[in-house]
Amino acid sequence: MNASTRIYLYRRYERFWHWSQAVLVIFMLVTGFEIHGVYKNFGFQRAVEYHTLTAWALLTLWAFTIFWQFTTGEWRQYIPTLHRVLAMVRYYAYGIFVNAPHPFHKTPNKKHNPLQRLAYVALLAMVSPLIWGSGFFYLFYAYWQDLGLEGAIPLAWVAMAHTAGAFMMLTFFIVHVYLTTTGHTPLAHIKTMLTGWEEVEDEVPANKASAG
Amino acid sequence: MLKISGGFLLGVMAALLLVWSSIGGLMFSERLSPYTVEETTARIQQNIQAAGNGWSISGLRNPAKPIEAEGGNVLPVLLIEACSAQYSGPILKDDGVRFLSLLMPCKISVYKKSDGKVYIGYLNAGMIGSLFGPLVGDIMAKVVVDQQGFLVMDPSKPAPALIIPKTGGESGGASGAEAGC
Amino acid sequence: MSQTKLLFAASLLGAVLAWSTAWGEVPGAARPANLAVPSGSAIPLGESTVDHSKLKELQKNFASGPEVTKACLSCHTEAAKQVQHTKHWTWEYTDPKSGQKLGKKNIINNFCTTSISNEKDCMACHAGYGWKDANFDFTAEANVDCLICHDSTATYRKLPGDAGHPVYERREFPHGSGKFVEAVDLQKVAQSVALPSRSNCGSCHFYGAGGDGTKHGDLDSALKKPGKYLDVHMDAKGLNFTCSTCHATAGHKVSGSRYEMAAALTGPAETRGKAAASPAACQSCHGDKPHKESILHAERLNTHSNKLACQTCHIPQYARDSIGTEISWDWSTATRMGTDGKPFLVKDSAGRRAFDSKKGNFVWDSYVVPEYRWFNGHVSYKTKGERIDPGQIVEINRPEGEAGQADSRIWPFKIHRGKQAYDSENNYLVVVHTAGEDDTALWANFDWQKAIGAGMQTAGMRYSGKFGFVSTEMSWPITHMVAPKNDALGCAQCHRENGRLEGITGIYLPGRDHSYLLDNIGWMVVLLSLLGVLIHGGTRAYLHFKHKG
Repeated sequence: MNASTRIYLYRRYERFWHWSQAVLVIFMLVTGFEIHGVYKNFGFQRAVEYHTLTAWALLTLWAFTIFWQFTTGEWRQYIPTLHRVLAMVRYYAYGIFVNAPHPFHKTPNKKHNPLQRLAYVALLAMVSPLIWGSGFFYLFYAYWQDLGLEGAIPLAWVAMAHTAGAFMMLTFFIVHVYLTTTGHTPLAHIKTMLTGWEEVEDEVPANKASAG
Repeated sequence: MLKISGGFLLGVMAALLLVWSSIGGLMFSERLSPYTVEETTARIQQNIQAAGNGWSISGLRNPAKPIEAEGGNVLPVLLIEACSAQYSGPILKDDGVRFLSLLMPCKISVYKKSDGKVYIGYLNAGMIGSLFGPLVGDIMAKVVVDQQGFLVMDPSKPAPALIIPKTGGESGGASGAEAGC
Repeated sequence: MSQTKLLFAASLLGAVLAWSTAWGEVPGAARPANLAVPSGSAIPLGESTVDHSKLKELQKNFASGPEVTKACLSCHTEAAKQVQHTKHWTWEYTDPKSGQKLGKKNIINNFCTTSISNEKDCMACHAGYGWKDANFDFTAEANVDCLICHDSTATYRKLPGDAGHPVYERREFPHGSGKFVEAVDLQKVAQSVALPSRSNCGSCHFYGAGGDGTKHGDLDSALKKPGKYLDVHMDAKGLNFTCSTCHATAGHKVSGSRYEMAAALTGPAETRGKAAASPAACQSCHGDKPHKESILHAERLNTHSNKLACQTCHIPQYARDSIGTEISWDWSTATRMGTDGKPFLVKDSAGRRAFDSKKGNFVWDSYVVPEYRWFNGHVSYKTKGERIDPGQIVEINRPEGEAGQADSRIWPFKIHRGKQAYDSENNYLVVVHTAGEDDTALWANFDWQKAIGAGMQTAGMRYSGKFGFVSTEMSWPITHMVAPKNDALGCAQCHRENGRLEGITGIYLPGRDHSYLLDNIGWMVVLLSLLGVLIHGGTRAYLHFKHKG
C-alpha cells in the first residue's frame, strides 16, 4: 500500500448541496420522462405535481447555494480554463487504460479538473437556461394569454426545448456517474463526496518524476 | 467465490421480483369482446347454460350499482356467476382444499374501460389448479376447457336476452345458491 | 456524517410539509366561491298564487285540446302569441350565418329522417294541435298546446297518428300490443297546471326519435328522478334542478339551443338581475375559471377552459343508465320480412330494439364514451335537396370550429351513424313517407319506391325513380348528465397516447405529443453515452484484471 495524505475537499454545505441536488435532479428526470409519456409510474397528474414541487425545491436550494458560492468565493472553482484540457482528454482516451498518472491534482483551491470545469460551465450556461427557461414557460402557461404570448410561441416549441434539456441532463448524469468511478479506486470519488476527504496518493509525484 | 455466490443470489432475487411483478397477470386473464356489455354477458350466459357438465348460472351481480347509489360513477361491470356441482363437490369434500370454496361460484367479469371497449376478465383456473395438488389440478384442468367454451362468441348466432337470475340480480346484494351450488 | 444525515432528514421533512400544505384541499373550498345561486331552483312546483282548480273557466268538461287552450287564453291573453314565436311552435330556425332554413320542419335527420309527409305521427311532439300537413294554420291561437308543458298529473298523453291531439278515447297502443292508453281527463289536467317539470320537457325530449333515450344520449327518462351520480344538478334528493333552472325562460322563450350554442362562454358567473346572454351555459353560474387551485398548480386546471368545454371533463360518459342510447340506425334493412313473410321485431340483449321490419337495424349502447371535436357553437347542415357524395359518409350536420379560434372549444359529442335512402341519380337525400295508414306509407306497405315517391311529391322535390342507401352521421353535442366533480376525467385520460383526445389536432398535448425527431436524437445520444461509458469502463476493468492476472 502506498502512503497517502488526506485533504479536506468538500465542505459540509457543499456536500449537502450536491447530494440533495442529485436526489432532486434524478426525481425531476423520473417524473419528467413520465410526463413526456415514456412510462407510467406515479400517474400523469401526480408526476406533474411532483415535478413542479421538485422544481421549486431545487430553485430554493440554488438560492442558498448561489449565496454560499459567493460568500465563500467558491464560485471561482467554476471559472473555465483551456489549460491542460488536451492532457485530460488524452488521459481519458488512453492514459487511464495503462495506469498513466492523472494529469490533474486536486487541491482545495482547484477541486475540478479543466474538463470538469468546462462541463459544469456548459451545464450552467447552456442546459440550465434552456431547461429552466422552457420549464417556466411551461409551468406558467396559464398566464400566456394575459402576457400576449399565446399564439406568439407555440407550446410545442417550449415542450421540445424542455425535452431537449432533459435529454442533455440525462446524458450529463450518465457520464457524470461514470466518471466518479475513475478515481484511484472505483468508489473513491463517491466516498470523497460523502465525507469531504480526498485521499491523495504520495506515489503520484514520484511516478510523474520517473515518467519525465 | 463471494462474487459468484453474490451474483447467484442477485439472480435469484431478480427472478423472484419478476415472478412477483407478473403474478397478477398469471392469476387472471383479460380479453376484448366485440359486443356491448349486455350482449357479451348474455352470450356468455348462453354458453354456460349450453356447456353441460352440470354448469348453471347462479347469479349476475352489478358491482357498479352500490357506487351509483352513493352518488358516484364507475363504468359498467357485470359479474357472471356460474357453478357446476360436478366440479365443486369433490373440492368441497376435501378438508385440505375446502378453503377453495372462496373461488366459488366460478366468476367471469364483463366490463367497459375508458377506451370505450368491452373486456372479459376471468380467473386463470389452470394456474390455480397447478398450485393445490392433483385433485384440484385435475378438476381445474376440466374447468379451463369449459371456461374457454364459455368465452366463444359466435357472431352468426343472434344476440340472446340477458338472463337476470331471480336471486342476486343487479342488487349487488347476496346472491342465491339455488342453482345447486 | 451525523450532521449531514440530520440535514437530510430536516430537508425531507420540510419537503413533506411543504407538499401537504401546497397540494392539500383548501379548507372550506368544497364549493366554488364564485358560484352564482340559481334562482327558482328551490321553489317547489305548485307554489303558485293561483289554484287553477278554483277557476270557473276550468269547471267544465273539455271535449278537445283547443277548447282547453281557449279557456287558458281567457286569462293568459298573450301566452299563445308568445309560444307562436318560439321553435316549439314553428319547428323552424333560420341560420343567421348561412341563411339556411333549419328546424324540424325542414331538415332531414339521421333517425326518422323527416317530418315532411309524416306530420300526423311526428306532431305528437309538437306543442300544438292539428298539424297534419302543409296546410296547418300557424296563426290559430287555439291550436297552441298549453298542457303538454304545463300538465302536472303525468296523465296527459299525445300519441303518433293524432297530429298532436291528446288521447280522447281509450285505445290500444302500440297497435296489437295489448297495452292500452287511457283517455285524458282534460278537466283534471287543466285544473292542475303548473310550471314545467323535468317530466314535461322529457315527454318529448327524452323520447326523441321514437323511443326512450334514442336520440340525444344525454337525455332519457332516467332524468325524471335521477340519482346524484347521473346528474349532479338534477339529483332528485339533492339540488333537484328542473330543466328551466338552467334553461331560464321568459315569455315562453326557452334559453339554450343546439342551433345556436354558446360553446365558449368566458368571464365570471353572471350576476342576478344582469341580462344573461346564455343562461343555460355552465359558465353563466360557474364562471369560466371555477376551479379553486393551489398556487403551485399555477391555474393549470382553469386554463383548460380556454381549450375545453366544461362538459368535456365533467361528462365522462353519457347515457349512464340501462336505458342507453341508439348509436346507429341502418334503414337499408327496413322492409325485410320474417320467414313467414310478415314484419317482425328483434330485441338486443338488454331488451332494446335491434331490428324492426318497418325501420331497419339499430345498435344501442350505455355508458358511452363521447367522441371529441372542436366546436364554436355553429352547426352547418346538409339541407333538403343539397347534393351529397354517395361515395363518402354524409355528414348530416357538422359542428364547426377549429383549434386556435378564440370561440372554439373541444366538446364531447355523440356521433350517431346510420344509413338512409337517397336519390341515386340526383344525389340528394330523399323525403320518405313513412308514417300513416295509406297505401304509400312505408310502415303500412313496406314499399320503398312508393314511400319515396309520395314523400318527394309532398316535399315538392324531383325524384328520379332510383334510390340507394348512403352512410350518414350526425353529431349531437353532449351537455346533460353532468357527473359529480369527483367523477370528472383525470389528467391521464387525455394526457397520454391513444387517450380520449387522440383525434384532436391543432394543439400540443403534453403526454400525447412529442417530436419523434427530437426523441430519436435524444435517446440516441443517451444510448451512445451509456454505451460509451460501458465500453470505456469495460476496457478499464478488462485491462485491470489482465494486468493483475
